[in-house]
Amino acid sequence: MSRNQQTANADIDVSNFSRHLNGQNAPIWWGIIGLILIELSVVSAFTVTYLYLYMQHPQWPPNDIAPPPLFIPTWSTILMLLSCVTMYLAGKSVEKNKSKGFVVYTFASVIMALLVLWIRWQQFDNFDMRWDQHVYGSLLWTISGFHFIHIVSAAIGTAAIGLFGMVGFYTKQRQIGVVVDTMYWNFVAFAWLPFYLVLYYFPRL
Amino acid sequence: MSLKNHPHTEQAIFDDQEGAESILDKTWLSPPGFLGWFTHVNQRQIGFRFVVTSLIFFALGGLLALLMRLQLVQPENTLMGAEFYHQIMTMHGTTMMFFFAVPAMEGLGIYLVPLMIGTRDMSFPRLNAFGYYVYLLAGITLYLALFLGMAPNTGWFSYVPLAGIDYSPGQGVSFWTTMITFIEISALTAAVELIVTILKQRAPGMTLNRMPIFVWSILVMSFMIVFAMPTVMVGSVLLALDRTFATQFFVASGGGDPLLWQHLFWFFGHPEVYIIVVPALGIVSTVISTFCQREVFGYTAVVLSMVTIGFVSFGLWVHHMFTTGLPHLGLSFFTAASAMIAIPSGVQIFCWIATLWGSKIQFKTPMLFIMGFFAVFVIGGLTGVMAASIPFDMQAHDSYFVVAHLHYVLIGGAVLPFFAGLYYWYPKMTGAMLSERLGRWSFWLIFVGLNLTFFPMHQLGLDGMPRRVYTYLHNMGWEEINFFVTCAAFLMAFGFLLTFINTLISPYKSRAAGSNPWHADTLEWWAQSPPRNYNFRHLPVISSRTPLWQKAPLYKVTGIRADRREIIITTLLDAKPQGVCIMPSPTYWPFVLALTVGFGFLGFMFKPILFVVGFFLSFFAIVGWLWPARPWLAEKPPEDGHPVRGLQ
Repeated sequence: MSRNQQTANADIDVSNFSRHLNGQNAPIWWGIIGLILIELSVVSAFTVTYLYLYMQHPQWPPNDIAPPPLFIPTWSTILMLLSCVTMYLAGKSVEKNKSKGFVVYTFASVIMALLVLWIRWQQFDNFDMRWDQHVYGSLLWTISGFHFIHIVSAAIGTAAIGLFGMVGFYTKQRQIGVVVDTMYWNFVAFAWLPFYLVLYYFPRL
Repeated sequence: MSLKNHPHTEQAIFDDQEGAESILDKTWLSPPGFLGWFTHVNQRQIGFRFVVTSLIFFALGGLLALLMRLQLVQPENTLMGAEFYHQIMTMHGTTMMFFFAVPAMEGLGIYLVPLMIGTRDMSFPRLNAFGYYVYLLAGITLYLALFLGMAPNTGWFSYVPLAGIDYSPGQGVSFWTTMITFIEISALTAAVELIVTILKQRAPGMTLNRMPIFVWSILVMSFMIVFAMPTVMVGSVLLALDRTFATQFFVASGGGDPLLWQHLFWFFGHPEVYIIVVPALGIVSTVISTFCQREVFGYTAVVLSMVTIGFVSFGLWVHHMFTTGLPHLGLSFFTAASAMIAIPSGVQIFCWIATLWGSKIQFKTPMLFIMGFFAVFVIGGLTGVMAASIPFDMQAHDSYFVVAHLHYVLIGGAVLPFFAGLYYWYPKMTGAMLSERLGRWSFWLIFVGLNLTFFPMHQLGLDGMPRRVYTYLHNMGWEEINFFVTCAAFLMAFGFLLTFINTLISPYKSRAAGSNPWHADTLEWWAQSPPRNYNFRHLPVISSRTPLWQKAPLYKVTGIRADRREIIITTLLDAKPQGVCIMPSPTYWPFVLALTVGFGFLGFMFKPILFVVGFFLSFFAIVGWLWPARPWLAEKPPEDGHPVRGLQ
């Protein structure tokens, strides 16, 4: 009998197996990885689009337009990355069955995201170029807007998770919702980095 | 969670206990009635809907093709004007690529994969239902646009600047960009859940090298969708922004680049061809194996070839752009890459020949369609190698030669295998056999019709007839061939019609199929025909690639509860049991979410602010969808040592 033709020699009893799947054994964990892969493809397509159009132009940005200032966006980037820490702490609180801590850290993350959104909104006002003047402006506005919408999504999703936590749904065993929300949150935060580089550093090269 | 259906079960009931069958029926029930239809989440219903809906779109796309052929039957025909012709040409291509081929293959995967890997449902049943409603809404919307005379008219590739607001004012192209973005959501959701289902829910013992080849093909297809489709979504969003907000992405005067559109589109568009063809290759292997009653020769080679095709298909999009004036070095690279895809394709064909060699082939209808696939796909492949060569492409580009080539590839590579699959799996889906006699007539009419339709188009192309034109002048020397081609197209259409008739009358006229009418080896044939909502009375334990051909009986999994929707989760590579997952129950929320997302997308076309409204409405639907239902699952094991038997 070949290796592929070996037969199992017993039934398998799973009655004592866990019904609480929290990490990589939970399908939703892999589902979120799938979502992140899709979004990574989108981020790559936007980044490549930026680089392609950048290479088509000897002068970038056009017509002596100044690149957007660096200082405030850098701080909003740091704030976004810091919110990953509070999300991590929220997860740790669930692991310790500390629901109050979980709710506090979750809403702290949401507030930080709202702060980032407010800063980004101010930046929109200060962009030197409209989206319809030149493709440089189109890229600046579209990529910034695209990421802005994602922060809004992550904030609303996490607020809902906080709400579920307030009614006591999340515990050490029942925490997969928090785990996957944190994965998506981290993705949204880190996906900003390639955009930050192309939008704020490439025009300075 | 399904706990809602059985809120306070004192004593857990397991599926290996006596009387568990009726409880399983109740647990996995899809609610009856018209309103119940909108709550269904079971993979069987959703997969079936995908397949049936895609066939309806196939028929609609075919009717549009016949209209085009009627217009081209003679020179300077006045049956329809240029505008309407361009609309139906665009709708034909868009329908066949986005609304037939991809959903049909995904639908087949959704229906069959859980059965083939020995599980009871997909990983995300509600997402599955959501994907279907999105698909349905997108299709209905686009066809409503056609009936209102507002359909897109720039071809299924929507090249700019033609598709820009200056040359295509009005809502036609906006419908295209919006609905393409919308329907890709459906394709992507299905792809992710197929990947997760295949990787995490295989029956214990079904290691990756024991997985059915069809499941491998669906896995490869799904990964390709995940990496290819977002690019066309980005492209269509940028085009929509150009049209609605006057951004300058594809506008040369504003610093944009029309060629960027072609790069984005074909980076998706070429893998798209293989997204359709790869699952078809899986069908070919499955049908050949069954009708030769032996394992496919070179399992590993066949699987690796499919994976290679998946990779290489991402590296040859530029061969659609040879005439756009790109640097020569780049063109040479893409010629080599294009030719290279013939290698894994050839490996598969030789493996199939080796399987057929010396076996006693049963030429039932599915096998006839596979034989048709061999002939037609090989011709399409050969003209593909011709078109991959730059000097030849310079001559044949945008001529009817390319129309002939792509139809040989797509009908040969996807439609014929899909119909083979339809004849092959119809008994499983409905419990009735399709009529052999009608099936044979259908096959021969399609096979003869398609060759008579498309082969002469090679000549038309070499004679200089350009594609995408709504008419042509007298005395070009194209009249006779065009007349002949139109007649042959009707012959082919009649062949397809026979299959549709066959599928409609067979449940009433044909004999019952039984669980395994072809004496096949894969697990779906272990289930009843049609399968129950829970697929299998007992989940199997696998110990070979051909579980139904092994002499020893299958062992089973015990300890799965019958009174709630439970499935087994296994490890990624070795399929060792890891845990038990409780699946969600039927609900309206996926339908509501599809409506709110659809509202946002459609609203964007007329008033962009409505997109924001749809965006926030969608969050209400998502929260409703995910709202945890009480009573929650108990966390601590009761005293008797069974950790999950009780509910809080």
